[in-house]
Amino acid sequence: MPNKKLAIFTATGCRACENAILDIHYQVSSLARFADIAFWPYVSGSQWKDLEAEDRLDVCFFSGAIRTGADREAALKLREKSRIMVACGACAAFGGMPGLINLPQGSTERGQLQQTTDKGQQSPEDGKPELPPLEPGVSALSQIVKVDYFVPGCPPTQNFLWAAIQSLVCNGQSPARISFAAARLPEAISQAIASGILPPGGTLFAGEKAVCASCSRVKEEKRFDAYKRPYEAYESSGRCLLEQGLVCQGITTREGCGGLCTAVGQPCRGCFGKAEAVFDPGAKMVSAIGSTFDSEDAAEISALVDDFVDLAGTFYRYTLPTQCALLSKPSKD
Amino acid sequence: MSDFEPKIIAFLCNWCAYVAADTAGIARYKQKPNVRVIRVLCTGMVDPSYVLKAFAAGADGVLVGGCHPGDCHYISGNFKAMRRAPLLNKLLEEMGVESGRFRLEWIAASDAPQYAELVNRMSDEVRSLGPFSPSIIE
Amino acid sequence: MKNMTFEPLRWQEDPVRVTVFDDPEHPQAYFQVTAPRDMGRICKGRPVEELPRILTMMSPAHHLVSAMALDRLFGVEPPPMALNMRQALLQTHVFRHHLRKLYFLISSRQNPFQIHRKGGSRGAIQLFPPHFLDEIMHHEALSQEAATILGGRCDHPLSAVTGGVSRFLKEGYYHRLSEIAQFCLAFANRLSEFFRDAVFGDGKLLDGFQNLRIEPMASLTLSKKDGNVVLTDSLGKEKDRFTPDMMFKKIDIYTASWTREPFACIQGSSENPGGKTGDMFHSEFPVPNPHFLFVGPLARLNSREALESSLAEEERQRLIEALGPFPHFGVVAAYWALVVELLQAAEKMNGLYVEEKLTGPAIRTIPSEIGEIGFAALESPQGLIYHHYRTDKRGIVEEIEILGTRTVNNALRCLLTQKAVESAPFREQAVKETQNRIEISLLPF
Repeated sequence: MPNKKLAIFTATGCRACENAILDIHYQVSSLARFADIAFWPYVSGSQWKDLEAEDRLDVCFFSGAIRTGADREAALKLREKSRIMVACGACAAFGGMPGLINLPQGSTERGQLQQTTDKGQQSPEDGKPELPPLEPGVSALSQIVKVDYFVPGCPPTQNFLWAAIQSLVCNGQSPARISFAAARLPEAISQAIASGILPPGGTLFAGEKAVCASCSRVKEEKRFDAYKRPYEAYESSGRCLLEQGLVCQGITTREGCGGLCTAVGQPCRGCFGKAEAVFDPGAKMVSAIGSTFDSEDAAEISALVDDFVDLAGTFYRYTLPTQCALLSKPSKD
Repeated sequence: MSDFEPKIIAFLCNWCAYVAADTAGIARYKQKPNVRVIRVLCTGMVDPSYVLKAFAAGADGVLVGGCHPGDCHYISGNFKAMRRAPLLNKLLEEMGVESGRFRLEWIAASDAPQYAELVNRMSDEVRSLGPFSPSIIE
Repeated sequence: MKNMTFEPLRWQEDPVRVTVFDDPEHPQAYFQVTAPRDMGRICKGRPVEELPRILTMMSPAHHLVSAMALDRLFGVEPPPMALNMRQALLQTHVFRHHLRKLYFLISSRQNPFQIHRKGGSRGAIQLFPPHFLDEIMHHEALSQEAATILGGRCDHPLSAVTGGVSRFLKEGYYHRLSEIAQFCLAFANRLSEFFRDAVFGDGKLLDGFQNLRIEPMASLTLSKKDGNVVLTDSLGKEKDRFTPDMMFKKIDIYTASWTREPFACIQGSSENPGGKTGDMFHSEFPVPNPHFLFVGPLARLNSREALESSLAEEERQRLIEALGPFPHFGVVAAYWALVVELLQAAEKMNGLYVEEKLTGPAIRTIPSEIGEIGFAALESPQGLIYHHYRTDKRGIVEEIEILGTRTVNNALRCLLTQKAVESAPFREQAVKETQNRIEISLLPF
């Protein structure tokens, strides 16, 4: 069976997703048994003309959010050449943290185009090279091109990257044990991987339930009498963080990471995107937190709510461009 | 601006607010025509997602009307709405929805004239705020 | 006049490209960062205690320095165990970062994927032992494991918080950590031997780069003794020493029209012996002769402080024997500085991954009030970084200033790219080689 042709590229973001691919296993070099890495600028120094010389690529792992015209072009070029396009990481899948610049900065700017260039940055003078234009806001990959699969997370966890690679690149044939990779995937998907069939288009390589399902903390009764900010005192291990008064978004976030952050004593911030049954993560958090208030007095509730800060920036930390019902554009599907 | 007619979506609970609205209509109280009513069984079932979806779909204002606290047909449904409302308001404001576009009001079944007055007041308020368009960056 | 564009560039963390306006007599190379960072816009309006988790996007070290700035903002002193854990995490990331760069360097001469390719490498001449790259990756994976244990996650750590760290370590980890530290130190030793042979033995690894260097430039480091920021001039003499919060009073930031990343220059018009700014900066900046500076492993060694770790100090002495006394500004010295610091990080890891250091009664100190200003400086693997926050009464970020290595080393990378292009033989024909030359020279900085 001929080797698959692979491309790995990051638009604007950090290199954590590509490093995560390099780190999936110390024998990452053994990937070469299944794939020819035809285009990996970060590690192999591939140039755009190398991509143009290729006829067709099989799988492209695209990370990073779309911030400049160059990113948009890259997404279009790679989509054209690749049979399968994978949005790798929260930035490509949902917009990621760069997406926070799409938040209205103040009510006076509502409806206007945001100032996107730094102060003092003029257009280049003669004799100086040009720069790719900035897009007015940040977009996720799925808002520019059709995306076939998503691997969420910031950065994606080892197991799901492996699952995606095994499924899409190795066709289930790599010698590594499948059970580690497919632990939290929905059954249909892990069976598809094991039998070498491609999962249905649009699949996210993650679980379906909320993070609470895999979080190791003890859940008792949910009551918020006082809202806590993470610098205040709370139990770092043991009891559920939401119950202790912290805003933890595990309740609206797709599972799969195994409760990484909560295990370390930090509230979840939703880097796997919203869970299957959620329409809008912010609305769901409002509903979830609201339902834990005990009071029946409007003034008391108002006073409690006064302590909450930066709801939009917290609930939509990784997902503003795509999953915020009010501020997102539709995807290309 | 003078041609602008706000679109207000009203989620009214079946047992109190809807009855008031119905009565107001039958009694032909003068009401601005900007409100579109969606009958729900209880304000407790109005998920914040519905409110967000209404704004995202083009509403300029959203009203949630239910029974007075203590009078809920399902005992505590309206308390659930009461607990969500301030938080939802805060989230909406952060996303650019000005205060006054979203309201949670208590309307008894016999409050028909108050309902009509509320509708008119809210229409005027939203009209003066202007049309709502989410700051989606294109 | 033929123009060339090299995009994307290998091994660069940021989206960059190099545009060359090629005049055979006088090529002009521009190192362009093509996307802005936007960190100010992302962070303003966020609760300040979230900043370590947001700024970790820039690098793991930014996560740590953010927590340090929060300590100051909230007026708390972390307990000793937390300080040790943070330091252990930093050294792990130094090790990982430098090891990755050396992996990239070696992979430029030997394709890591060649070996497993069907019908691949049999018969081809191997410059290095066949599975050496896999061994490097193995130790990369070990340090990654240690970083995950200490930080919660590897590339975007979580555990540094206001006043300390976020949780105790589980019992079983201490033994594993000290195992990892021992493996890493042993390998760092082997790698340093290998590097010396490969560069100065048969000279194959950095062939053609022996004379590639920038004009002498001032450097910025953090003093280990008193925590102050030290400015060393281009001759290697200390020129200024100041507390971190004076940073933006001593450093000016300028923007150029052809790159999205600003530049850092030393304020004031003190003389800059030997320094030469490239033509690209003419007419861009308000000051006539901007005095650039740089940070990083080479800058740290240029400050000429002796190292505490014995193996690293021995290596540093070997560097001085082979290349001459500091300061150095060349590509070979920069790579060797990575090796020296790799040894130092491995030795420090062995010193810190010890149960006594990483246990204690408290993981963090709870603050009782929110201050207004927080700031901190730290030597990240890539160089000195500095954070400065101002918040309102509720702890929401109003103003944030970050001096990152991308900004400070921007000038160095521009000037080095220019030198690499100028000295590239037959650059019009040998496009791939010219690109390679640029990439290898930029990598250690």
